[in-house]
Amino acid sequence: MIERLNLSKLQAEEITSLSASCVAGAPPPCARKCPFGLDVRSFTARAEKGRWQVAYKSFRDAVVFPELVSRLCPAPCAGACSRSDVGGAIDLPGLERAVTALATDKRRDSYAIPRKAGSVAVVGAGAAGLSAALSLAVKRCGVTVFERGAAWGGALRALPDFDVFDAEFSAGFLSLDVNFRFNSEIHALSELSEFDAVYLATGDGGESFGLFDSFDSTLLTTAQPRVFLGGGLVGAELMTAIAHGRLVARSVETFFQIGRATAAADASVCSWTPDTTDIAPVQRLVPSDGSGVFTDSEARAEAARCLKCDCDICLQGCEMLRRFHKLPMKIASEVYTDIGANPPYSSHTITREAYSCSNCGYCKRRCPESIDVGELLRVSRRARVEGGSAPPALHDYWLREMDFSSSDAFTVLPPRGKTTAEYVFFPGCQLGAYNPDYVTRSFAALQNVFDVGLFLGCCGAPAYWAGDDTRLIANSEKIREAWRLLGEPKFIFACSTCASLFAELFPEIEGVSLYPLLAESVAYDTGGTTAPFGAASVFDPCSAAEDEAARAAVRTLASGRGAALTELEESGKCCGYGGHIRLANPSLYEEITSGRVAVGELPYIVYCVNCLAVFSERGKKCAHILDVAFGLKNSIGQGGAGMPDIDTRRKNSLEVKRLMVRELGADGSDFIPERDPWDDIELIIDPETAERVDRKLISLSDIREALYLARESGGFFTASDGTRQCSMLRTALVYWVHYREPREGVYEILDAYYHRMKFSEGEADE
Amino acid sequence: MSESNELLWRCGRCDEALEKKKTVFSYLGRSFTHEVDVCPKCGAVLIPRELAEGRMAEVEEQLEDK
Repeated sequence: MIERLNLSKLQAEEITSLSASCVAGAPPPCARKCPFGLDVRSFTARAEKGRWQVAYKSFRDAVVFPELVSRLCPAPCAGACSRSDVGGAIDLPGLERAVTALATDKRRDSYAIPRKAGSVAVVGAGAAGLSAALSLAVKRCGVTVFERGAAWGGALRALPDFDVFDAEFSAGFLSLDVNFRFNSEIHALSELSEFDAVYLATGDGGESFGLFDSFDSTLLTTAQPRVFLGGGLVGAELMTAIAHGRLVARSVETFFQIGRATAAADASVCSWTPDTTDIAPVQRLVPSDGSGVFTDSEARAEAARCLKCDCDICLQGCEMLRRFHKLPMKIASEVYTDIGANPPYSSHTITREAYSCSNCGYCKRRCPESIDVGELLRVSRRARVEGGSAPPALHDYWLREMDFSSSDAFTVLPPRGKTTAEYVFFPGCQLGAYNPDYVTRSFAALQNVFDVGLFLGCCGAPAYWAGDDTRLIANSEKIREAWRLLGEPKFIFACSTCASLFAELFPEIEGVSLYPLLAESVAYDTGGTTAPFGAASVFDPCSAAEDEAARAAVRTLASGRGAALTELEESGKCCGYGGHIRLANPSLYEEITSGRVAVGELPYIVYCVNCLAVFSERGKKCAHILDVAFGLKNSIGQGGAGMPDIDTRRKNSLEVKRLMVRELGADGSDFIPERDPWDDIELIIDPETAERVDRKLISLSDIREALYLARESGGFFTASDGTRQCSMLRTALVYWVHYREPREGVYEILDAYYHRMKFSEGEADE
Repeated sequence: MSESNELLWRCGRCDEALEKKKTVFSYLGRSFTHEVDVCPKCGAVLIPRELAEGRMAEVEEQLEDK
């Protein structure tokens, strides 16, 4: 059930929630294991480019003491590294050491930060205390370190590399204003009453002055708001103890600002890991140098092995998203801000993206969080229509076709002699348009087995894709009413787009695909018919991606008719027709359709007539499964018939209605389509011009109407070569026809085109 | 393909030769002027294919994106 979008009540959260679970940009598996939360992707990307300086600074900002951490970190990241099975985990400590060695300028950037009002006492000058003192001093807090021993380092002093760490501490504190008081043991917190905050980093088994029981590990706080604990004192191992330094600096800073420590915004926690199936193995490097440190080129090569794990699976799978290179969260925020755009004062930013989406659901099926970018962009289309800022020309053609299918070509026919039905066949608006036999033969086969009526109409896809809720609701009500009058029959769908849209719009209506019925009942009467191709691939329409029964049935039918099938390597993507993107983004349409016909070398067997039309237009050999099942030779795609133009498709739809009214209506029933006064205008048009005009989605009927209006009004132009030109103004477009009139009432069409702008015609200024 | 740009056009209704004249164009709530062939008598405007499918199409797309 669909309701119109209420723009005045639409909240940002309603839109952003559609992409909120996106894991793009979230910490990769390795960083989720890192005590420092190092941004590994950026670090290795910089190292790969040899940008040692910036890599070093980002590393130091995260770990405080690069020499110490790069030498002593046990690298819990390695266990989570996605490279593990394809060449071995990245040697991140090795890269960290190389970056620390290769960066020549280790000076801290100096910023004119005003000195903080509060003073901090740090108790303990081991790794935890020093890390906190340095982090607090960088934030311009006044820091005094109390150490009961004679020098800094604590337990680190026993390590063989201590002289390196000692030098790093000295260099780190060189330009910072930190007061060290060695040989100063603190026996009571009252000794530190002059300080605004106290950090106790007294080490494993050290003194907590009774505050250990009230310790909170997320913010390192205690029952006393000004006293914080961290490091070995609270059981942290060395790396976490160092990481506590940065954490306590942040807690103290917020405590000074607002009187209590607060947490930074939660980094999104996710369990996403990349699929490495198609990643080529590259072996982990070992430093060639006897010192055990990577050389410049070795470090770059090792950094290049890093997969920089980040989820962009939707971008990888979709031509549209790849072209615009926007991830779901950015799209969501732009969809929302676009709704408030008020040109010319503020501009829309996501028009082309919104109107370039096929709504095929491929992104949703690939996404680990099932985010449907198509749904997001459809919100944008709906909002544009609702707010009156939709460019009407982009969907005008298909909406007119929908109106035709829902009016002139519409009919509902119960089984002959009845008023209700158990089943009703819903071929969809285009099936009979491309070949009336598709409908009549399918219906005849169904009629052999089922109590079945016929429902000729449109599921509403053009309005759904245009974002035209008003039209969609009106069409839906018309369908629902007819369904009730027909005794609420089950629908049999030939088109999987109809099937999936019905499932969304009419949950109360039971639906089933035509193809399993055909395959199971073998109800068609053309046994022995051979498939048009001995070898072929089934191209599944995007809308059948979740319809296993239809997918299997089509293969059964095709194999049963003698087609040896080879599965395509890629499946579930739209042929290019979906979303009606052709006019909104012609070059993307070109890219998508040319890509789809090249997925497999063999001819395609399709079961969506729009796939058939798209592929035939590109010259791909293809057949509809109904051609295969019924042995039809008069269809497009096999060279048996040319592509029916727009008018022929409309005539075919009316012909289907006429045939079926005669078949199912009471004796003597007939349907005679209404005629327009321009229908009899005789046109001469060479095939090349006809095809060119048809591809612009200009129908011969439009051309005839323009000529008729020009003839009636005398409103045309004549050129020096005797040719003429006339125009016709329509809601979305202005059509132009360039023609010759070799004899009265006969028109040779030279060209037809349109534009979307309107011009003001009237009396000339003097 | 028609090459209406190089042809000399007359208004079918008034039989006047068309003249270049500034004309107001509008699309999606914005308007601007451009010089095109217009009948000096009745004001009928002629848009050649090259203009419609060239510069006008470009501007239409730009305005849609704004």
